Amino acid sequence: MSYNGTAIVAMTGKNCVAIAADKRLGQQFLTVDMDFQKIFPITKKTYVGLPGLATDVQTLYKSNMYRLNEQRDIEPKAFAHMVSSTLYEKRFGPYYIEPIVAGLDKNNNPYICGMDLLGCMDVAHDFIVAGSADENLKGMCENLWEADLEPEDLFETISQALLNAVDRDALSGWGGVVHIITPNEVITRHLKARMD
Amino acid sequence: MDIQLGLAGKDFVILLADNQITNSILTIKHDEDKIYKLSEHVVMSVSGEPGDSSNFSEYILGNTVLYNIRNQHELSVDSCAKFTRKELANALRSRSPYQVNYLIGGYNTISQKPALYRIDYLASIAKVEFAAHGYASYFCYSIFDRMKKPDLTQDEALDILAACVNELTRRLVINHSSYTLKLVDSNGVRVINGEELLKRTSAK
Amino acid sequence: MDKSILAEIVGDSNTGFKFDNALRNESLTSNGTGAPKATKTGTTIVGLIFKDGVVLGADTRATAGSIVADKNCAKIHYITPNIYCCGAGTAADTEFTTNIISSNLALHQMNSGREPRVATAMTFLKQYLFRYQGHVSAALVLGGVDSTGPHLYTVYPHGSTDKLPFVTMGSGSLAAMATFESKFKPNMERQEAIDLVQEAIESGIFNDLGSGSNVDVCVITKGKVDYLRNYAKPNERISKLKSYKFARGTTGILKESIHKFDIVVESDAMDVV
Repeated sequence: MSYNGTAIVAMTGKNCVAIAADKRLGQQFLTVDMDFQKIFPITKKTYVGLPGLATDVQTLYKSNMYRLNEQRDIEPKAFAHMVSSTLYEKRFGPYYIEPIVAGLDKNNNPYICGMDLLGCMDVAHDFIVAGSADENLKGMCENLWEADLEPEDLFETISQALLNAVDRDALSGWGGVVHIITPNEVITRHLKARMD
Repeated sequence: MDIQLGLAGKDFVILLADNQITNSILTIKHDEDKIYKLSEHVVMSVSGEPGDSSNFSEYILGNTVLYNIRNQHELSVDSCAKFTRKELANALRSRSPYQVNYLIGGYNTISQKPALYRIDYLASIAKVEFAAHGYASYFCYSIFDRMKKPDLTQDEALDILAACVNELTRRLVINHSSYTLKLVDSNGVRVINGEELLKRTSAK
Repeated sequence: MDKSILAEIVGDSNTGFKFDNALRNESLTSNGTGAPKATKTGTTIVGLIFKDGVVLGADTRATAGSIVADKNCAKIHYITPNIYCCGAGTAADTEFTTNIISSNLALHQMNSGREPRVATAMTFLKQYLFRYQGHVSAALVLGGVDSTGPHLYTVYPHGSTDKLPFVTMGSGSLAAMATFESKFKPNMERQEAIDLVQEAIESGIFNDLGSGSNVDVCVITKGKVDYLRNYAKPNERISKLKSYKFARGTTGILKESIHKFDIVVESDAMDVV
């Protein structure tokens, strides 16, 4: 978690979910990239955030994508279980990743789920955080999150949670990206952030 | 103590590498070319364990050349980088992982864009505008940050690299007497005389 | 080239655990990059036998180090319609171990045509856990009612088991056992048993730092299961009196892209009969 540095957070709102991440790729205290992708679309209404060791982020994303050849969109819950099993398969030689799945299911109900590196799922009704800034994010979210936020309000809440959490984590930050998933559209916004 | 730098400009990429091979406190060689030419428009510089770096690089080189011959089609810089990452990631999960770092630069003749990829020994890949590996990174990233600008020209890029070499000569405990520079643009790969760069350095 | 030592010993197999990251992770650890912490349950889990069956109880806190990872997780796992199992230890292990045994018992039931017995579940669990020599760290309280009556077991990570009328496990087991030792009596009434389980779990919640939040209870009697999720909530969060909602436009944006969906009413081909 602390080798490359990450902060990823997902939150539920009223008929919507949001998932946000910072953009830094580092090697311990050296910043290598300030536009690194950590959130990936799975279907049009399901996204996955992969915080952890960068090489595993890229390996796991590929190995999972290749299995989605069913000619239909996978539900976020089913996808989360698939990721979970993939991780537990490597129980004794784990990937250093704590994935977050966020999406709307076929009835447009919000679904967010976090996992530890062994694949233990944590399905939450409020928010999920992970990465090197996870403790900071937990504190922010515990305070800022409230139920039934409209997409635009959810955007402000998740953005402020992320930006303020990474300001107190030396290893993450350098920009942020937020995806707000609603039944009709996905809004992607790149945040103005501190670059230190 | 390998030096490896890379810079992507407006329509070109330059890689720079030192020419030294060392073993413990001995310098074995002063004129090694550590920048492999993978195809007409792709170059790859390497640092890391001496055995690993030549062995794995030649494996990558062999396979990309084989691809080009088989398909009568040049593998793009983007594909070369992703292929290298995949092979390195697979090797990472074996009994003897390779301890090598790569910079892969080139000019994509289809999209007409230059690209520079940085791959470290853990097989994390990042597409970047400038890159460095090893101790050089601690000196050069700050110089890159200060001097970079959009649509860099070749002359400006060489100025940046000259500034980096200048700083390394002043402050790094190991002194390198010569460097290899390779530039890739739409016309292919061109070797830039390292002496020229050193002249720029002393002129500053 | 890409064969791990274990693959050479065990041979290429597509089932079971895979070890190909183990060597890499070992070298990462020696380089000073520690592994992320796995979620543990910390946990107070209990079970007791009463007049008509078994009551299982659990708290709902999951931890990662000293951080509370999940405030309301479910630690009472389904095994078969008449058997449930509380799990303590590494959360992923309790989750997946109970899942695997649940599947195996379902297959066993189809093969034998009989309702699975608690003893069978216990045997499957202990054989599975013994095989992994304690490395699969699941400490379980297994309870159920079958054709031979109510049964209650504890299963330890190394594969040993106990059969007792009242049991506790997890980091809060001492607190819970103190309650049981002073108040348990054989052949209790249903409500009396539930109350005692609640009290035992609450003593774990309040006196053990690894346990917390709510009380889950599962009452299994002949032919009936009452899974009482969040039976008691002794630590309800006091709701905020005012909102921290930000004014829209608070956050600065560099760029925005909107991906609109084409709304298509999907009809499932299988629905058309």
